[in-house]
Amino acid sequence: MFRGTFEPYVSPFDPCPPIKVKTFVLPPQLFMNVQPPGLPQYSPAEALRQGSLWPALVDGFSKKEGIF
Amino acid sequence: MWVYEKKLLYPVEVSECNPRLAKYIAEQYGGADGELAAALRYMNQRYTVPDKIIGLLNDISTEEFSHLEMLATMIYKLTKDSTPQELEEAGLGAHFVNHGSALFYENAGGVPFTTTYIQAKGDPIADLYEDIAAEEKARATYQWIIDVSDDPLINDSLKFLRERENVHSLRFREAVEVLKEERDRKKIF
Amino acid sequence: MDAAEQREMLKLVQQADFVVVELTLYTDTHRHDKEALEQWRMAIKEASKTRKAYEKRYGPLSLYSVPSEQAIDMGWRWNQPPWPWQM
Repeated sequence: MFRGTFEPYVSPFDPCPPIKVKTFVLPPQLFMNVQPPGLPQYSPAEALRQGSLWPALVDGFSKKEGIF
Repeated sequence: MWVYEKKLLYPVEVSECNPRLAKYIAEQYGGADGELAAALRYMNQRYTVPDKIIGLLNDISTEEFSHLEMLATMIYKLTKDSTPQELEEAGLGAHFVNHGSALFYENAGGVPFTTTYIQAKGDPIADLYEDIAAEEKARATYQWIIDVSDDPLINDSLKFLRERENVHSLRFREAVEVLKEERDRKKIF
Repeated sequence: MDAAEQREMLKLVQQADFVVVELTLYTDTHRHDKEALEQWRMAIKEASKTRKAYEKRYGPLSLYSVPSEQAIDMGWRWNQPPWPWQM
């Protein structure tokens, strides 16, 4: 939902095995610009765990996504 | 003034001694897009921005210092009780001969912190756009550290810090909107 | 004193304080959101309650809290470990 992809040009002379599709982050704040009032909220415990009080601002990140 | 709170913003736990990971985390401690640069940048900008956005710069800067303390905790714990040999094997030999086991404000490559990382243009829009860029760059840096870290506990804290960059970036974007409301507002006395 | 138990209680303070951090930044840029301002006010109240419960057992988290006489008599000092990065 908060990720984009592109296909880099692959040259036959590239020395490393090509990564055909690259993923990059398009974080939630890009699509909001101003947070509307009254958005649903996490509980305090969940908010601290997630890093924000509002689920709509959280996009998470893990190395398993293979974004680099 | 500030009053010290004897607690971290978010718990920091470390799985195992890992000086190499500490070296990488230094990028966010004393690097160009790190928390020290962020804290100092906003704290300095707050004096000359319009009143309506002073509070935001003040409060985000204050939070950045708590992020700095979290990173220091990671570096401290990851290197605590490391021997000089272990530090050397982790690429921290040069750090050790200069600083011993002390922490230092430097980036992952060992380059000392410099205020040239910080801009202050005195133009509210130029400064806010720098702040937004700084938050996105810090977010990306956290991503790359998570990518090279195998410590699930450290990654949990790094994920929290990465998410804070999202929130701060949004608040700075909102600050731009707050200033846009000032267009054509003529003061009538 | 059980270190794990202290950590758990501290986490409750961190959770309550974090809600205040979030709502402070939000109200910084949403000065007309009355509901958020009220929630912010209540969040500060809640955080203060949670903090008091922690401090009663483990001593002041900051010098804005009054240390009890018993705490001092029992040997509690501000300048004592563990500091946050040591815990």
